[in-house]
Amino acid sequence: MLALGHVVIEREHVRKGLIPLLVLACFFIWLAALSIGGVAVSWSDIITLFSSAQPTSLQQTILFEIRLPRVLLSLIVGAGLGVCGAAMQAIFRNPLADPGLIGVSSGAALGAVTVIVLGNSLFTGFTNTLGLYAVPIGAFVGCLAVCAFIYRISAFSGQFTVISLLLAGIAVNAIVGAFIGVLTLISNDQELRDLTFWSMGSLAGNHWALVLPSLIAIMVAIIGLYRLSQPLNLYLLGEAQAKHLGLNVNALKKRVFMLTALCIGAAVAVTGMIGFVGFVVPHLIRLIVGTDHRYLIPGSMLLGALLLTASDLLARTIILPAEVPIGLITSALGGPFFLIMLMKTYKNMAK
Amino acid sequence: MLSLVNATAQRGGNSLLNNVSLSVGAGECVVIVGPNGAGKSSALKALSGDLTLQSGNVYLNDTTIGQFTPLELAQRRAVLTQSYELAFPFSVTEVVEMASFCHQEQCSKQQLAHYARQAINEVEVNHLAHKCFTTLSGGEQQRVQLARVLAQLSPALEPSVIAKQGTPYLLIDEPTSSLDLYHQYHVMSLARAAADRGAGVIIVVHDLSLAASFADKLYVLKSGKLVTSGKANEVLTSDVLREVYNVDASLTLASGQLPHLVISQQNQCITQRT
Repeated sequence: MLALGHVVIEREHVRKGLIPLLVLACFFIWLAALSIGGVAVSWSDIITLFSSAQPTSLQQTILFEIRLPRVLLSLIVGAGLGVCGAAMQAIFRNPLADPGLIGVSSGAALGAVTVIVLGNSLFTGFTNTLGLYAVPIGAFVGCLAVCAFIYRISAFSGQFTVISLLLAGIAVNAIVGAFIGVLTLISNDQELRDLTFWSMGSLAGNHWALVLPSLIAIMVAIIGLYRLSQPLNLYLLGEAQAKHLGLNVNALKKRVFMLTALCIGAAVAVTGMIGFVGFVVPHLIRLIVGTDHRYLIPGSMLLGALLLTASDLLARTIILPAEVPIGLITSALGGPFFLIMLMKTYKNMAK
Repeated sequence: MLSLVNATAQRGGNSLLNNVSLSVGAGECVVIVGPNGAGKSSALKALSGDLTLQSGNVYLNDTTIGQFTPLELAQRRAVLTQSYELAFPFSVTEVVEMASFCHQEQCSKQQLAHYARQAINEVEVNHLAHKCFTTLSGGEQQRVQLARVLAQLSPALEPSVIAKQGTPYLLIDEPTSSLDLYHQYHVMSLARAAADRGAGVIIVVHDLSLAASFADKLYVLKSGKLVTSGKANEVLTSDVLREVYNVDASLTLASGQLPHLVISQQNQCITQRT
């Protein structure tokens, strides 16, 4: 079994200190992300702009219409990815699990690709009517549909077991992958370009109208998952043991599944695919505060927010005035991290 | 009274239990013995509500077990299983404190922490309290899990709680399988002590000497059927041991000693050197 950080250090004061530290770090990255960019807005200007209603200036428009929604989105999406990663690793009792296993990513991709490639030919004026919302709605619907399908199959025999969920997830992800392949094949050049960029993820160009619904959905999911921290701890003991301790194991699994689908669905719909945050963040927090989800979930939430906001800041400033898709940054950082974790685990097992 | 009445269970065409009835009352320590595959663990699973029965019933204090929610059951009985899947780095104290989950509405945090500490002391794992569970040896892990189960049982053993919800039960599946001699007897005497405090205790164990030393009543199972039941000296006779285990052996009972099993040298199970 791959499990990391088998040393229990004196954690009490680490636990107490970590959350305020992360909150502070999040606040500073938030300020930094608001101020740095193509047009620099100094910190003192930010405070002035927040505190007084000045007549519309360029800075104000940039701050309130472009940067603020984007930074809020990166904070909340990062938080959601971190929390859902932690919850999935608990539900699969495997520190390498990822929300992708329950079909979130492939479902969202299917929905988005369908809208991009077939949107206008299936329903005349579809993308024109919905405009900005077309792809996010497609992704969200696709995500929930594929998750629901995987859920139905894995609960087919009346038993919702982790192994049936895993197998159904792998099979359905493969089928959905084939559909996406077919749609890619029949797409034209512009569609292909849209599709490629969508699959690399981006936090750019999101308006309040898109950001707000996702903010609410992700926040609901995070609060819901946080309230399940203690049951998740029990669940890690084993299903039978958790049941003996008074936990309704099936209800827990269903709730985590649904909240994760909602959260990642809402995130992926607006940002596209952002890899590895959900995997890396819970690992780092687990190394610091241990496995107790009452600390792991808030820690993952804050570190996720911090990491994604920092990555996004990097993504939009590294090759100004152009932008690197954020999925590339997180994967480029997450990939090597994953390998190091893997090697470290093998080394521990060889000992 | 926790009782299994005419229970029959099958899985994949194999009969696990065949019309088995057994019961444990308040203050009683009952031990189930039998060869591999006799249905000991199945009987215990049925009693804890984990095994679906084809026919028969399980009653906990006169209510069928299906009528309790998992939470209500957890407040009335604690179960120690044979194997654990825990692979995440929880500390020993964290594992034991998980027992608090089902009592947090009735008891204060201080009380629950007290029960956990007490259980850690009882199974003598204080020195491991801050260690990571996954780094412990098999025997140590087993004792930590027992501490968790005892911490779960303790609140239900308070006289006011017994008066309200009846006798609590402790179900243990092979608690001694990876323990050293000292801890085998220590763990069994802890189970016995829970019975003395008013719980109904039911233990599955392989070691017949241990079973005879601590049981008020023994149930002998073979191939899913109940062979016999009663006090150790009545049940573990040479005839029964030969019939059930195919071993020539007898139980010695001397004053000042715990009963133990003496095995004859001329035995089918012993390959004779030529």
